[in-house]
Amino acid sequence: MSGIFAINGGACVAMVGKDCVAIACDLRLGLQALTVSNNFPKIFQYGDVFLGLTGLATDVSTVSDLFRYKVNMYRLREERDIAPRTFANLVSSTLYEKRFGPYFVGPVVAGLDPKTGEPFICGFDSIGCIDFAKDFIVSGTATDQLFGMCESLWEPDMTPDQLFETISQSLLNAVDRDALSGWGAHVYIIEKDKVTKRLLKGRQD
Amino acid sequence: MSRRYDSRTTIFSPEGRLYQVEYALEAISHAGTAIGILAKDGIVLAAERKVTSKLLEQDTSAEKLYILNDNMICAVAGMTADANILINFARQAAQRYLLTYNEDIPCEQLVRKLCDLKQGYTQHGGLRPFGVSFIYAGWDPQRQFQLYLSNPSGNYGGWKATSAGANNASAQSLLKQDYKEDCSLKEACGVAVKVLSKTMDSTKLSSEKIEFATVGQTKDGKIYHRLWSADEITALLKEHDLAKDENTEDK
Amino acid sequence: MDLGRWIIGGSLRPCALLSLASVRSVHPDRLKLQCAFPLELQSSRHRDLGPVPTNNLKLPLADLHLLSNFVHNIAKMEILLGITGKDFTLIAASKAAMRGATILKASDDKTRHLNKHTLMAYSGEAGDTVQFAEYIQANAQLYSMRNESDLSPSALANFVRGELATSLRSRKPYNVNLLLGGVDPITHKPSLYWLDYLAALAPLPYAAHGYAQYYCLSILDKHHHPDITLGQGIKLLTLCTDELKRRLPVDFKGMTVKAVTKDGIVDIEFNDDKVVKSA
Repeated sequence: MSGIFAINGGACVAMVGKDCVAIACDLRLGLQALTVSNNFPKIFQYGDVFLGLTGLATDVSTVSDLFRYKVNMYRLREERDIAPRTFANLVSSTLYEKRFGPYFVGPVVAGLDPKTGEPFICGFDSIGCIDFAKDFIVSGTATDQLFGMCESLWEPDMTPDQLFETISQSLLNAVDRDALSGWGAHVYIIEKDKVTKRLLKGRQD
Repeated sequence: MSRRYDSRTTIFSPEGRLYQVEYALEAISHAGTAIGILAKDGIVLAAERKVTSKLLEQDTSAEKLYILNDNMICAVAGMTADANILINFARQAAQRYLLTYNEDIPCEQLVRKLCDLKQGYTQHGGLRPFGVSFIYAGWDPQRQFQLYLSNPSGNYGGWKATSAGANNASAQSLLKQDYKEDCSLKEACGVAVKVLSKTMDSTKLSSEKIEFATVGQTKDGKIYHRLWSADEITALLKEHDLAKDENTEDK
Repeated sequence: MDLGRWIIGGSLRPCALLSLASVRSVHPDRLKLQCAFPLELQSSRHRDLGPVPTNNLKLPLADLHLLSNFVHNIAKMEILLGITGKDFTLIAASKAAMRGATILKASDDKTRHLNKHTLMAYSGEAGDTVQFAEYIQANAQLYSMRNESDLSPSALANFVRGELATSLRSRKPYNVNLLLGGVDPITHKPSLYWLDYLAALAPLPYAAHGYAQYYCLSILDKHHHPDITLGQGIKLLTLCTDELKRRLPVDFKGMTVKAVTKDGIVDIEFNDDKVVKSA
């Protein structure tokens, strides 16, 4: 409940389905208990790869802008989009560069492998240790609640529609039990050649 | 007379000329032609590809047209190796601006950044100038579609239609004849292939000899830029009856 | 091993603490945590700390945050308010310049014009505020001169955020909270940006800083509409200042009020003399 990671609040979750992945975040920006904004998205799109960032809001902005720079330069140089697994390693090495004065963020990466179409998700700690997972990744002030929700709702090989329902219910019900996150959500469902972004209103109190 | 003054970029000749810069311009005039035409709803860039050999590995990447950032592309006339350095510099400058201001860099600012670098090599000793001219095509919210030309001296200017490289004088006069104010992007593409067909050595063109790119606006107002595929170029050439006969083989 | 209390007792200065650490061979990481708390009590910048060896007193962000929370209790009394409407952005800042329990000035202007259609209001640690605001102002004006066009409010907000974020991880960060209001020179859309001293940036329809947040945001939540007129905006502002006069324990000496429209920045006459009785 205290510490740098929890000043601004916020939550993020990514999930794997059958030939699809989903990533979702809440929209709150707060200062301790006070809510400053209810429109502060924490998911960023770089080509076909998605990055969720929770933690200190200033670092969420700094880190997302930095990766936009790095990924844009990568795309211009290589003349192709970055793959999720490559991006995950870029995130890892970039965060570890600041090992002794880290960015206070909990990143989550989600995407489909451009060659095989295989779902890919992973999470990180603030200094870049990668946590690969084949089911789900959670991050933010509602981590405990999200773990509980995902553990009970997630099942293997969900269709995009099932996945949307599962990730949305997991996030909304988790943030309702967390005072520091909520106020609406963004949900991305990523399929082979389609990305669907949905805005969930959520509880506004 | 020139002998004593032409080896350094930093020294004027008694006639007030910088020979190295002029030599750089001379080098460019041997390179393939590049032209750019500004239309009311977009910009077209076209370039002549000089090296065509059956043995050359044909990858998808363009040789003379480059993307600088999300709202700007450029055509190169001159030494490709030099151009690569400058293009990388421009891309980094554009991304740095995006990082600082969270907005795309205005076109003229990016052109100026690049020209400041080019200018430096006409003044500081020991180095030769960059042997490249660029034609830039871009869009920004302040001045909409824009076309610029820059040369090794570091000079640049905005144009409605312009050219660089071999035969650029004749290309320029052809453009002056054929350019219509307020033409559409489609018409501009037609003018571009016509001019290229006249300035290039062979009258019949083929898709492996030219490169094409356009900057435009989609129906919902988004700016796009696109390097054309070989099929699209062939289709355009056929439309204007400039395509090489398909059964005649390459020489 | 309670090094912390020694400092509060005044027997040790932070610099002495660091040198002591090496004698006792405390791990430096551990030491940082221990000196974090006492430092904030001792080292409000106005107090004389003696010769602090600044090069080895590098504060990690964790300590900085505790420190700023402490320093800010006075700065939180300063009021910054911002409201956007259909074609304008209103910015208001309290007129009192405070230091400790003293009001030094009752006609302070806590705003700076960045360019023709962007205005920035600031609060925070004395010294840092004006220094930082004028640094930003100078950069905004330099850009306008070099490029013969002004930066948009959104570009400026991101520039300011970048500068503040860089400063945050420097040896001595700026302790400044900001509101940035403006009207886009091309689209004529009004905008308002909220920035705190940690360089968290949020675009908002209405915003406040300091204790004013607790009183005013709820009022604005209820009464604000995105397409209010300037007149309605000023009325809304009066509603907020009345509540502040009613509930804040200090007299903030009225408000400087400015509006940004597509034609530029204008001063707004605002009645400061109205007396509001406490409940």
